[in-house]
Amino acid sequence: MSERALVDRMTCVLCPVGCELEVGKDAAGELQVKGHQCDKGLPFAVEEVLHPMRNLATSVPIRGTAARMVSVRLSRPVPREMLFPILKEIAKLRPEAPVRRGQLLIADVLGTGADVIATRTVA
Amino acid sequence: MARPVESCDVAVIGGGPAGLAAALGARRAGAGTVILFERERTLGGILNQCVHDGFGLFLYKETISGPEYAERLIEDVTREPIKVETGAMVLDLTSDRLLRVNSRQGYRLIRAGAVVLAMGCRERTREMIEIPGTRPAGIFTAGSAQNLVNLQNLRIGNEAVILGSGDIGLIMARRLAFEGVAVKGVFEILPWASGLERNVRQCLMDFAIPLELESTVVEIRGRDRVESVVVARVDGALAPVAGSERVIPCDALLLSVGLIPENELSKRAGIELSPLTGGAVVDETLMTSVEGVFSCGNVLHIHDVADWASFEGFAAGERAARFAAGERAASGTVRVSAGPHIKYALPQLVTAGKAGVEWSFRVTRPMRNVRIELKGRTSGTVYARRKFARLFPSELQKVRVREAIKEDIEVGCHE
Repeated sequence: MSERALVDRMTCVLCPVGCELEVGKDAAGELQVKGHQCDKGLPFAVEEVLHPMRNLATSVPIRGTAARMVSVRLSRPVPREMLFPILKEIAKLRPEAPVRRGQLLIADVLGTGADVIATRTVA
Repeated sequence: MARPVESCDVAVIGGGPAGLAAALGARRAGAGTVILFERERTLGGILNQCVHDGFGLFLYKETISGPEYAERLIEDVTREPIKVETGAMVLDLTSDRLLRVNSRQGYRLIRAGAVVLAMGCRERTREMIEIPGTRPAGIFTAGSAQNLVNLQNLRIGNEAVILGSGDIGLIMARRLAFEGVAVKGVFEILPWASGLERNVRQCLMDFAIPLELESTVVEIRGRDRVESVVVARVDGALAPVAGSERVIPCDALLLSVGLIPENELSKRAGIELSPLTGGAVVDETLMTSVEGVFSCGNVLHIHDVADWASFEGFAAGERAARFAAGERAASGTVRVSAGPHIKYALPQLVTAGKAGVEWSFRVTRPMRNVRIELKGRTSGTVYARRKFARLFPSELQKVRVREAIKEDIEVGCHE
């Protein structure tokens, strides 16, 4: 999952135009992007190929209330290869009600700079 | 003794993203008494189990999860003098806007000045797509699996196969991967994915989950529990190709094979439904064929983005408030039909002479470098033309006509 060929096709998701991007490598080993109609497409494609960033959402059991689970997510996207290590950290959480939406549950999880926050209020 | 009849200006049926917005829209447009009926114990509808990110980009200008999106709308509703009734099931709706409700206070009758339908949709099941085989445990619609995993902390199996590439199925593929469930593959009968491309990439490709197009499940095996499914390729007529069968061992099968607007109440009220959307036929004010009854969100047509369901809700709520206050649209309607490559266009009716109407539409198959035209059926006048580099059936699109429309029109997609 972490290793992928450095040649990729993707649809740019930054706006509804949805340019179809092709990322290739030239003779010098430089990444070349084709198909973008604006200058946002190039950094998007390069990031998606070199170090794709993803958010992560899940839910964890909560104690002290009728609701069984509280949903959580990251405050911002992290490198994709960090998703499973972060899931292991989240699995250790056993928050107790009440929890407020936006409440900090893990600060700077695994040094990624992203926080794990609650996404719903459980009274 | 006759049962007392309560009254309200606007009654909203359903407390999901469309209904919450409709209640707010009605209040903001000046409706006095607004009642919001929700049959579950909590407001928010399906958003509560959609813990993934990606909601709110259009309504809140940032990307948040389903529960956050719901809570923000619920907080807005709570700030208004809107009467929220949860645990209240609307049993019947008549054409003169009488609601029969089984509520926490018992059985009640409520006469509404206007009604907004926001009941959402439900998932198609195994029975509706007629998969042969045994009837073991382990077969779930994708949404019910999502509920079990995200809200009830239950494990639905160890090895899963997903039939259908709708967005909920794609989201669940990733969710199951997170939970350590081996997802053996997603099988889609059509030659293209029915979910959003972003979800194909971020939910399947990221986790090396195979997506097999033009293939389907032709048999379910297992006595007490699913033991395997048989998949086969299909031909151009979507019929399984003999000899292409393959047995895939698994203990869970998820179905993500489409959503159906939940219009039982609409039928009871005698509302005209569209065979193309499965929802009500509406005019540009989102009013159905029954005066004073409006429709929005997934009960009207299936949305791919919750924000659009909410925007429709705001509009329907506002129109309902204006109807309850006595405003009536001018009579005389033109009909709008779906032309080449258009699955449906909505609204299906427009007040004659109305300008600035916006249509939602979907295409029947992926299309490239096309133009969408709204053409007069009598005069051949093109009222609007918009070019699209690409159109997918999974993406609801919009097109607006500036000028007044005075004849029946057809929405078509031309290469």
